[in-house]
This record gives sequence, C-alpha cells and structure tokens, in this order.
Amino acid sequence: MSDDKVSLVIEGREVEAPSTASIIQAYSASGGQLVTNVGCMGQGVCGSCRCMVRREGSRDVTMELACETPVEAGMQVAFVSYFQPKRPHVYDLETLTGGWQILDAIDEVFPQAKSCRHCGGCDRACPRGLDVQKGVEYAVQGDVLAAKDVFSECIMCNLCTLACPERIRPNHLGLFVRRALAALTLRPVELMRRLRQIESGALTVDTSTVDAPRQERRP
Amino acid sequence: MIPYAEALAALRRAGGAYPMRDDGLAVAELLQRHHPDNIGGKPVPLAVGVNAGMLCQPEVAALLQTNALIDDVDIAGAETLNTDILVIGGGGAGCAAALTAAGEGARVILATKLLLGDSNTVMAEGGIQAAVGEDDSPQRHFEDTYTAGHRAADRDLVAQMALDGPDAIRWLIKLGMAFDTVEDRPFGGSLKRKTPGGATAPRILSYRDFTGLEMMRVLREAVGLHRGVQVMDRCPAVELLSDDRGGCVGAVVYSLEHHRFVLVRARRTILATGGSGRLHLNGFPTSNHYGATADGLVLAYRMGAKLREMDSYQYHPTGIAHPAHLAGGLISEAARSEGAKLVNGLGERFVDELKPRDVVASAILRECAEGRGVARDGQAGVFLDVPGLVREKPDVLASTLVSLAHLAAKCRIDPTEEPMIVYPTLHYQNGGVAIDGSGRASVPGLFCVGEVSGGIHGRNRMMGNALLDIISFGRRAGAKAAESATEPYASRAGIGHIHDWQRQLTLAGLPLDARGPHVFPAYGNFDLAADARLTARRAAAQGGRR
Repeated sequence: MSDDKVSLVIEGREVEAPSTASIIQAYSASGGQLVTNVGCMGQGVCGSCRCMVRREGSRDVTMELACETPVEAGMQVAFVSYFQPKRPHVYDLETLTGGWQILDAIDEVFPQAKSCRHCGGCDRACPRGLDVQKGVEYAVQGDVLAAKDVFSECIMCNLCTLACPERIRPNHLGLFVRRALAALTLRPVELMRRLRQIESGALTVDTSTVDAPRQERRP
Repeated sequence: MIPYAEALAALRRAGGAYPMRDDGLAVAELLQRHHPDNIGGKPVPLAVGVNAGMLCQPEVAALLQTNALIDDVDIAGAETLNTDILVIGGGGAGCAAALTAAGEGARVILATKLLLGDSNTVMAEGGIQAAVGEDDSPQRHFEDTYTAGHRAADRDLVAQMALDGPDAIRWLIKLGMAFDTVEDRPFGGSLKRKTPGGATAPRILSYRDFTGLEMMRVLREAVGLHRGVQVMDRCPAVELLSDDRGGCVGAVVYSLEHHRFVLVRARRTILATGGSGRLHLNGFPTSNHYGATADGLVLAYRMGAKLREMDSYQYHPTGIAHPAHLAGGLISEAARSEGAKLVNGLGERFVDELKPRDVVASAILRECAEGRGVARDGQAGVFLDVPGLVREKPDVLASTLVSLAHLAAKCRIDPTEEPMIVYPTLHYQNGGVAIDGSGRASVPGLFCVGEVSGGIHGRNRMMGNALLDIISFGRRAGAKAAESATEPYASRAGIGHIHDWQRQLTLAGLPLDARGPHVFPAYGNFDLAADARLTARRAAAQGGRR
C-alpha cells in the first residue's frame, strides 16, 4: 500500500488524504463535521453518503457513494444532502388481495411510469449501476419478475427519484413490485405447517431441558 | 507472523487439503486466554447507579458514568410535541415497534439520529433464524441459543423468541419481504435454509447475502407510508424525560437541522438505539453502523434502568484485515456457512469454522498471538479461503455471496484466485438493558428493544438471532406500549432525574465535566455544546451577555 497523499475538494474545502482513503474517510479525517450523509461507512448498502463527483480532466459529474469511492487527486465532491420528497405514491399493501390486480395497481399507484421518456437519467444516477429504466419498463408491461430482479440490489438511495423529470420515483416503483410479489405469492409450505403446529399449541418450548449443561467439546 | 507471500504459497501448496491443527485447548480455556473480553481492558465494577458493583467493560463504564449533556436551562422554552408512543431509533427494532403500535391505533413519533433505516439492520448480511424445518424445532432453537450464549441468557426470553420465529417471518412476508426459496417456487415452495455457527439444524433464512438490506428497505417503506407514524429524521435523543416518580415520559431530542432541542412527551417510550460498536472497545475496528454509540444505553442507565452482561461483547470472526482502510468491514458468516475455510499462515486449519462466533474469533486471535497469522502491509489476520470455496461451488459468488464478490472488488482482489485476510471485528453488544417479555425495562414507561436490550443472547449471540430479536421484541413492545394509548399524560415531564444522578456522581468522586452520550464517534467532529450554542444560552439565561 502506498502512503501517497492526494489533494481534492470536498464540500468546497481543500482536503489532503492518503490515496487509499474513501471520500468519507478523507472528509472526516480533515475535520469535516460528519452528522449526516453517512451511514454504513463502507459497506455501500445504506445509500446515505451519495455524492456528486467530478474527476480531474472530466466535465462529467457522476453519482457515487462516498464510503465506497476512493479519493483521487483533483477530485471535486459535493454530497447530495438528504432529501425526503413528498410521497405522491401512497398504497396499502394489505388492500392488494390477489395477483390479478397487479397491473392495475402499478398503474394506479405509479401513473407516471407509463410516460417514461427514456431519458436515461435514472440509469446515470444509479451508484449501483442498475438498469433502472429497463426495470420501470418491465413493471409497466407487467413483467413483474423481471422488474423484481432489476431492483434486487437497490439500496434505496433515491438518486433515480431525484433524477427523474417525470417524477416516476423508480426505486419506489421497484420496491412496490417486489413487496407486492412477496406478499402475494410467497407461501413456503414448511412455514405454514410450523405456524399451524405452534398456533394449535402442539409445539411448545420446555425450558427445563437445559438444566444440565450440554457438553462443550473442543473447538 | 508469516509474511503474506510465504503464507499464500503454503495455502496454495495445500491445495484445499488443509491439516487441522489441534493445540488441545478446551473451549473455556481458549476463550479465557484469547477472547478480547478477557484479555482487553479489565472489567471494572460500576461505581454509581442501579447496577453499582456489577462488572462492566471499562470504556463502557466510563461512558455510563458521565454527566448529562444538557441542563434544565438548555431546554427552557423548547418546543414540546405530544404523542402516544415515542420510538427512538430508526433501525429494524424501532420500525417493527412503530408499525405494530401504529397498527393498534396509537399515534407514534419515531425519532432517529441519522435517517430512517440508517442502522446495523441494513448492514446485516447472513440472515434471520426461525425454526421452520421438519428436522428443526423451536425447542432446538431455544437450546442452541441458550447454549451458544453460555447459559447466561434469560431462558423465558429465549424460549419466547424461538416460538415467535415463524410468525416473525410471516409478518415480514406480509410486509413484502422476500426470502430465498429452493428451486424458485414461491407458492408451496421451501425456504432455503443455512446452518449458523453453533446450531444443530439448518435454521438461517435469508435473502441472498443482503438479508438486512431487503428487510430494512421493506420496513422503511412501510413506516414511511403509515399515516400513524411521524418520522423525525436527524433528531438524536440527548436525554430522557422523567415524571416526578422517576418514570419515563418521553425524551429530549436535538434537531441537527434546526440546532435546537425538542421535547417529545409520550405515554410510553421505546428505546431502539442499537449497540455500541463505534466506541471501538479495546481499540478494535468495528463492523457497526456509524450511529452505534450506545446513546440509549447511557440514557436508560442514568434514569435507573437495570443492565446486564455489560462485560460481554461479540467480536465477529471475519472482519476485513487488509487493506487497512477497509479494516473492520464485515465478511458475512454466510461465507463460512457455505463452506469457506479459515487457514493460518502455515496452510493449516485451526478451528471448526462453524463453531460459535466467540470460539472462532478467539481461535483467530490465538493464531495471530502465537505467530501463525498472516502479515501484509502491517495488517495481521488469517486467510478466509474463498478460492477454495469457489473451486467446490463455482457459481457461489454470483448466486449467494453477492456482497462478498462486491467486497473483494473493493479490496482489489480476485476472489477466485486470492484469499481474503480476516481478523475479528467488534460486532455486537451481547448485554444491555434488562427487559421482560414485552421489552419493558425496570423503569416504568420505558421499553428497550434490539441491541440496546440484554438477556436474549447471553454472553454470545448466534448468527441470525439479531434480526429475529428485533422483529420479535419490536412487535411485542409496540403492541404492549400501544395498550397505554388511553391513559392520561404524566403531569410533569422534565429532566429532574439528572440532578439525583449528578449527586451520585459527585458522591462517588466522579467528574461532572465528562458528559455523555457521545451521539457521534470522535471522528464525526461533533460537539453538541458548540452546535447548540449551549454556553451562550446558559450565560444569557443567567443574565450574562453573549
């Protein structure tokens, strides 16, 4: 590992950091107050540290997760501060009682989805590189299993929602499809049997069985 | 310690057929000699509070025995909100409690330090335990959990949780959470099951290797859509509110956005603030979320809530050891559950990889302490033989260990060729606030659920029992708390209890200028007094000038 230092600009401040540091580590080590735009600190699953990054020599701005992106010399970084848009897409999963309504439900809850103009903004915004636009298209067409797979690794950072000029809120659409599918179709047989055993009182737990310690063997 | 190149050569020479090293240590001896609870900072008796005399990890003891962050004058004139139930913490336990209480018709405020869903829950990878298999039973689940926890847990809590397991899974499915099934046949299919370390039957249910992410995004969406729950993001609790009889009647939260305090009065308060990994006990890196600074534990103890097993912490065996900037990040137990082996610098296995976590972690620390570890760029650890696993199960990275593949890429290694270097990482607070079966603490009006609570995991938690614990106890606490919705509010709500606490600190000769909780880790560069301009306010309130 090299100990090279690089300098970059984070939130308008000039910062020096080891070249192996992530953006968020560099920001914190430089004394920046870290009370928001931070979460899992490196696992890349919470989506809280989303940021806009411009690399030296490039005019493009990319969306990345600050906890997973290593610093580079000349990088410019601005956090996309948390935002909680109003929820125009309100639904109650319990009112979905059968799979036959799923197409209507998608259209009813997310009416904007069918007017996607394929600008690709969501795809460019996704720090996970998901085929967001394709996922929206699958959902609109009713190919719910395909849509479910597209959004399987979505971390709900909301950047596609921010990027969509049609206000489709693609990640929430994807999650709606995923939730509906699980709630409507997942009925594992051994789980149903076990629930019946417990609820009928046929299965209980006897706490006295551990009175004598189980022999602990060598590791 | 064995240099990386040499260790790698030994690993490759063995070609998967690793001899098992046996140094003859029994489990108890191994833990005694190598577990950080025993060889790190020596536990100290608490000097003040309801558990005075109880042994506690020293850094945690120091934090528990701090003065309050605020005084009466700081909250004079603060805005007051009223609600039936206040939930503090936006992880899985808090969301389960909030959804259940709101489902019973209670008005709920959920206050969280970061954003809704920012928690250890979202980072959980391996899965959730529930005894659904024909070859399994809640009885086995109970016995495995109690035994893995070294018989220190509250048996009734464990038994109740084991019986709650299947219903917790049904509840999650109803909310729209997906689980892996065998042969992708949802209706009437079978759930895919894995064996956690220390279990006698396969019992881990999962969604790929990001079960917590799947759980949390579903819970977050459900809470966000529920009209009965008002979410206050970026509002850490800095003190609890007490009535004149010492009961808990809400909390003081600090709005990071508006730089001011808000009093939230509630009939019942549910602490779901998580654990304490970001205290970096004994100098260990941590796998924990940024928010895990033991805030709730400190506030609850100050108010008089009994704690237990505060000298017991879990160090997850497989934290990343190299590269240094990713140190502490977690490699899920799912990797070992799938069959990945741990190998020392001599090309030997040294422990059954599926033993309970404290045993495996201690064994890794033993290898490093006795010079059989692997050294690379100043970092030490042992190998997790992912290439060997891939040789046996060629599609394992694409199908089940997706996060591991992602992680290897971040470490800039090819996991099909190069092993990961791992070292234990501070992972879980085994003890916490003592609770009953509904999550009630010993302080009237106060509930604790999730990692802040204690008694469920004894002195060592099994994989998959944290995700079950938060749902099982979160739902029970939410339901019990909601029963209070018709009661009148306490007539007083203040922070009077801290005066008694300050007297106790003074009598014990402890300083009043050490304040807690920390709210953020030191590297968050946050100072509440400065952020809220407390000094200036206090001066103004005393008639001085700013």
